[in-house]
Amino acid sequence: MKKKIGFAAAMVLVGLALLSTRYYMVDLPVWHFFGGGNGPDPVTLHLRGEFVESNLGAAEGPAGSFTVRMIAQQFVFVPQCIVVPAGVPVTFRITSADAVHQLSFLGTDYGLKAVPGEVTEATFTFAKPGQFKIPCHEFCGAGHYAMRAHLDVVPRDQFASMLPGERRTCEPR
Amino acid sequence: MSHASQATRPRIAAPWLGTALFLLAITLLLSGRDSSAQKESENSDLPVRIPSNVAWTGETLAIISRGDAFRGLLLARRCNHCHGEEGFSSVPAFPNLAGVDRLSFWKQMQDFRSGKRTSPVMQGIAEGFSARDAADLAAYYAMLPTASDPQDNRAFPQAMQDPSGAPIAIRLIVFGDGQRGIPPCQSCHGPVSYVKGAPPLATQNGNYLEQQLEHFSNGNRANDINVRMRSIARQLTAEEKTALSEFYGAGMGPGVNSR
Repeated sequence: MKKKIGFAAAMVLVGLALLSTRYYMVDLPVWHFFGGGNGPDPVTLHLRGEFVESNLGAAEGPAGSFTVRMIAQQFVFVPQCIVVPAGVPVTFRITSADAVHQLSFLGTDYGLKAVPGEVTEATFTFAKPGQFKIPCHEFCGAGHYAMRAHLDVVPRDQFASMLPGERRTCEPR
Repeated sequence: MSHASQATRPRIAAPWLGTALFLLAITLLLSGRDSSAQKESENSDLPVRIPSNVAWTGETLAIISRGDAFRGLLLARRCNHCHGEEGFSSVPAFPNLAGVDRLSFWKQMQDFRSGKRTSPVMQGIAEGFSARDAADLAAYYAMLPTASDPQDNRAFPQAMQDPSGAPIAIRLIVFGDGQRGIPPCQSCHGPVSYVKGAPPLATQNGNYLEQQLEHFSNGNRANDINVRMRSIARQLTAEEKTALSEFYGAGMGPGVNSR
């Protein structure tokens, strides 16, 4: 009888230990096998979908909404220089073509993780015009430390006059 | 006694059966989720530019890995005149193919065929090779040695015209330039790490490399997937392009085993 109680107690403790790491024991395996596949296929980003190269950059949608689409890949961000208007919410939609990358907007509180097969979406508002560096903040390989993008926040009126109707970047074309 | 315990055994298995059924139900529930939910772009009237029809899917990799090097050897008679009997060209403006990466070779052949990469010479020639032929050629050229052969009429190691460019080249190859977001060459082209579709540069002709860097930076060549090489090349100055291509063309790049 004592043995049985001891065994049951041990099982309860093991169960509690597993539950305390539920994210790793349950959520991650479920996500790994069943959760992926909501986003675009990382190897065919350039063929179809919203991340074809002519659709990358800042776009002005209906009702004055702004969307920036970006690809993070080993070891460059595309587009490498993005330009957004100041003072309005800007939605970032980011995916990765290979490994996990992370954008951290230096000088702000904002950051974004780029995961292959997933689209990371977040809406940020940059209050004042300025220039920010966006280094990769998740080790992604040998060229990780040189992986960097630039963000150019310009006044709203200046942004509207830049390249109407197109995808806006501040890269030389 | 033993008779009785045998009779109860199926009942003991029942909880396990229940667990298995439960897991199966979860599996079916989760796998039935809509996986095609993809937000379309708002302004879909923009012309879609596709850099290359090649994507590194499992089928593509399977086609390439099925390449037969012996068949490639026979097909390579059509390439020998420009690219050399042993994969080393005698003209410095033509690329060396010995030791080339299979994937990058195959991709370039497909891009020539589909017109995604333009070349007055190669587009016509590549039309004569099927996808399987290109895989065979890739297998053949990938196994050619890059060691030097004195009998071979090759243009490859050409001394740097301006040796003062060497430090610039070494810095870019080994460290890149983080301020401008230029990754080190060797992190994709080897030998530190490789990226699919990036050819090794250690035994490539300098003139050819300089041409291609120029084409990438001004957009004449735009068949790199996801604007990878274009993003890098358009940030290089003319001085850096010359230094890099001369440095690699002199056989001084990392990963070289020709000397």
